[in-house]
Amino acid sequence: MAKEFSYLNFNRNKEYSYIGKSLKRTDILDKVTGRGKFTADLKFSNMLYGKLIRSTEAHARIIKIDTSEAEKLPGVRAIITAKDVPSIKYGLSPARYDETIFCIDKVRYYGDKIGAICAVDEETLYKALKLIKVEYEVLPAVFTPAEAAKEGAPQIFEEYPGNINTEIHLEFGDVEKAKKEAYYIRTDRLQGQRTVHGFIEPHCSIAYWEGKRVTIHSAHQSAHYLQHHIARIFNMKEGDVRVILPYIGAGFGGKLDVSGLDVAAVALSKITGQPVKMFFDLEEVWYNGRARHGMDMKYTTGVTKEGKILFVESEIILDGGAYTGLGVASSYYAGALLTVLYDFDNYRFDAYRYVTNLPPCGAQRGHGQPHPRYAFESHLDHIAEDLGIDPIDIRLLNARRANTVTPNGYEVKAYYLKEANEMARDVSGWKEKKGKLPKGRGIGVGNGGFVTGAGYCMYRTDLPHSIAMIKVYDDGTHAVVYTNAVDIGQGSDTVLTQMAAQAMGYPYEDITICTRDTDLSTLDFGAYASRQTLMAGWAVKRAGEDVKRKILAQAAEMLKVKEDGGYRFGKLTPEELECEEGIVYVKQEPAVNITFAEVARAYFVKHGVLIGRGYYHPGKLGGTHKGAAVGTSPAYSSATQIAEVEVDMETGLTKVVGTWDVHDSGFVVNPQLLHGQVHGAFSMGIGETIWEKVIFDEKGRVLNGNFAEYRLPTALDMPYVESLVVDTFEPNGPWGVKEVGEGATTPTLGCVANAVYDAIGVRISELPLTPEKIWRALKEAEGAKEKGGK
Amino acid sequence: MYLPDFEYFTPNSVEEACRLLSQYGSKAVAIAGGTDILVKMKKEVMAPEVLVSIGHLSELKKIEYVPGKGVVIGAGVTHNEVMNSKILHEKYLSVSEAAHQMANNQVRNLGTIGGNICNAVPSADMPPILIALDTTVKIVGAKGERTMPLENVFKGPNQTVLENDELITEFVIPDGNFTGSTYIKFGLRASGALAVVGVAASVQMEGDIVKDARIVLGAVSPVPVRAKEAENFLRGKKAGEELFAEAGVIASGECRPISDIRGSAEYRRDMVRVFTRRALLKAVNEGHV
Repeated sequence: MAKEFSYLNFNRNKEYSYIGKSLKRTDILDKVTGRGKFTADLKFSNMLYGKLIRSTEAHARIIKIDTSEAEKLPGVRAIITAKDVPSIKYGLSPARYDETIFCIDKVRYYGDKIGAICAVDEETLYKALKLIKVEYEVLPAVFTPAEAAKEGAPQIFEEYPGNINTEIHLEFGDVEKAKKEAYYIRTDRLQGQRTVHGFIEPHCSIAYWEGKRVTIHSAHQSAHYLQHHIARIFNMKEGDVRVILPYIGAGFGGKLDVSGLDVAAVALSKITGQPVKMFFDLEEVWYNGRARHGMDMKYTTGVTKEGKILFVESEIILDGGAYTGLGVASSYYAGALLTVLYDFDNYRFDAYRYVTNLPPCGAQRGHGQPHPRYAFESHLDHIAEDLGIDPIDIRLLNARRANTVTPNGYEVKAYYLKEANEMARDVSGWKEKKGKLPKGRGIGVGNGGFVTGAGYCMYRTDLPHSIAMIKVYDDGTHAVVYTNAVDIGQGSDTVLTQMAAQAMGYPYEDITICTRDTDLSTLDFGAYASRQTLMAGWAVKRAGEDVKRKILAQAAEMLKVKEDGGYRFGKLTPEELECEEGIVYVKQEPAVNITFAEVARAYFVKHGVLIGRGYYHPGKLGGTHKGAAVGTSPAYSSATQIAEVEVDMETGLTKVVGTWDVHDSGFVVNPQLLHGQVHGAFSMGIGETIWEKVIFDEKGRVLNGNFAEYRLPTALDMPYVESLVVDTFEPNGPWGVKEVGEGATTPTLGCVANAVYDAIGVRISELPLTPEKIWRALKEAEGAKEKGGK
Repeated sequence: MYLPDFEYFTPNSVEEACRLLSQYGSKAVAIAGGTDILVKMKKEVMAPEVLVSIGHLSELKKIEYVPGKGVVIGAGVTHNEVMNSKILHEKYLSVSEAAHQMANNQVRNLGTIGGNICNAVPSADMPPILIALDTTVKIVGAKGERTMPLENVFKGPNQTVLENDELITEFVIPDGNFTGSTYIKFGLRASGALAVVGVAASVQMEGDIVKDARIVLGAVSPVPVRAKEAENFLRGKKAGEELFAEAGVIASGECRPISDIRGSAEYRRDMVRVFTRRALLKAVNEGHV
């Protein structure tokens, strides 16, 4: 049998000048000195301050909006409601555009957008807000999918009968046939909660008009989508909308929707003729929502005696909140990627996304994935336990391998989940610990991974996904990379600058990056679906290589090989030259060289500006079923995480004491940034497993819209983290890269939950695993034991 | 959230502060660190027209040991100053440790111990340990001064016996016979979390006999409460894990917790049981910690 082609250990002996190295972040000084400007820091002359007018009912018809008292207040400049703005529907899932700038007839959740107001200063603004009176006819509301699904339940949208917003029924292979062949079948049902992203910068948006053009500064994850949607909503040409994204205090998926602030700022600045700054107070971020869906997940899996998966049947119910946003994609993602992780032929996936009278849900780091991963990884542990198999062994047996195609049609190239499991097992001391730890202490494993960029644009278009341009200064002493890839803190500016330096053969420290401005820089779809390193990376690499090509051609005319004893006479060809770290040299005679800068200057004199251009489109990718566009990607990351926990058996308090992450991320451009993503993912995932949950009262009001009562882990809660990589090469990525940012969050919930189960011997089926829930579960288990004993 | 307008005074003495408070009556409040008041004003929970600053008054800033009297802590001392006080490290490390467990570093840097008491939040971290050590407070007002046990200062959530023109100026932890004391805070994360339950215990041991004990429970009643039945039960008995476990059961019957987003009443009651036992054991075995 021919040896299977492997992308493993591909990079072991490669040494690059600027990639594969933890170079200093491009934004480091701006961030640590506080010099860097975020949207809320910006001020313009005559700038007005605006806020949204929000609903104080969860579900109600708007009878009357009385703004007369507020209008009388000196300093109030404009108050607008639905009648003053276009009534076009928008959203992020083209099939379900269901949001309007302001509520037209009724409000659908507490905090829904009724209008907007702006004034000369914040003090006037807050005073005026209190003077606005809205009269409602209150309608009955539904707050859970179960309530929404009841017969005779209040209908939130006419277009979603039964309150079902998205319904998915997919089957691959033959599940019924596999059921007959299975040695063992088990069903588990688990629930994941609604969370928020937890970024520290609340949304903010500033807009001003100059003639027919509008400029928007916004805390957003994609300059392009914001530009596209603003143009569509206001019936403008995209070229008349300029989007500038200043530094962004993280997004995690929560700054991808067009927020009410963006549209209100555009509308209010048009009316007033002045710049308008719209902003959220922290609590409003909870009401804006767009974060992780609450999910109820049921898995039935059949396996052979050895634990090989024969089929999986899954049914997932999502609490969507009031609007769709990215919810259609979230629903598909909830089922799409299980087949990438584990290799089995027969798969049924059913999903129902209900609308409810709560803030809309959307994407949050790992989009649609972390909850289903948590549920399936818990389920898989139970199957392993029932069969007497070690949890890691069952994962090794089922892990997908490289160069395969999933039953739902996704092509998987480099994929080394098995190796990640083995390495994680060995570094964590799994064999010495599993089954041997004292009561109250436990160890658990979880697998996960993600797409490296979505295969398709969110709306239908033939545009390339990423474009880059590199311009070299006249005298060759500096270069600027242009791309609208969006650095939201993950470090894409740094990584792309490293890639430009490597591709050009030009010093990293002599390159700056110009991003996040639709007028100045070039098209990129932005920061979502873990796409920047691969997709913007390809465009930047190609732009850098284009520069290098021009430099080498120019240098060939300038360099001369010495004739006496030289390796030959005559003119050089570009193919005989190489450029590294700012020096162009003859490959076979490196002593014959010239600086990049001299060559660039000569090029400038002869041809004008030296520019390199790069382009990336993933082409047509696999998957032909309905919804295949969600989940198809040029490359898939994978990861194994292991967590060790200590549970106080009297109080239920869990302390995570150790964590290990082994990633198959392809080639790693900047190891320190990768480890940073892994640390952050553990922090986020541990928080979601143990503490975090958005809590509402009976009116649909958020009860914990702050960081005191919505508890993210603090530095003191963080365990020991060990982050390692499997050395692999992804053929579809520039230099072999794949994603890490989102995939790293997907195994965490499952591995921590499995560790807690290992520690206490009771499975709690609903996240988060708060001390009180563990305390109650232990008490109930104790009660059941006593009862059984009698 | 926007801070409304207010007038701001920086008096030069406690006396002047009391006079200003008296002059403006219910329109005025005293402000020290501001970590509670400014948040409440932004959230429009309160809207004082006058703020009288006392945080800068040096007469409220001392921590000293007065022989024959005890440890005197000025009301304007911040939590971090309590945490780092050498005198407290020597005499009552348990008080420093309680301050350390409060909120987070930023709040501890600004928030004063007087403020923590006057705010009278049921989950506050300083009252249980101070009450367990029989702390008295000195209250100064426009009409004079008075002294009372800290235990008697609280009337209900956010309510104290202080009149409008009165300030707490100092706390005195009297020289006593306690051989050990501790405060255990049970919060839902390692930092920046309010207590779900807080239990302070102090003990006076003679050999292995519990001569006297105080058990003070936080976050499980409208005001910090002593578990007096449990205290009585312990007196004169031989220390031991079983005894303390039983004291825990008694104490859990003495609290009146409510259910809120941080925990149910049932859970809190059981945590009183657990942490009373643990606190007693710690105070007996480890001294003032």
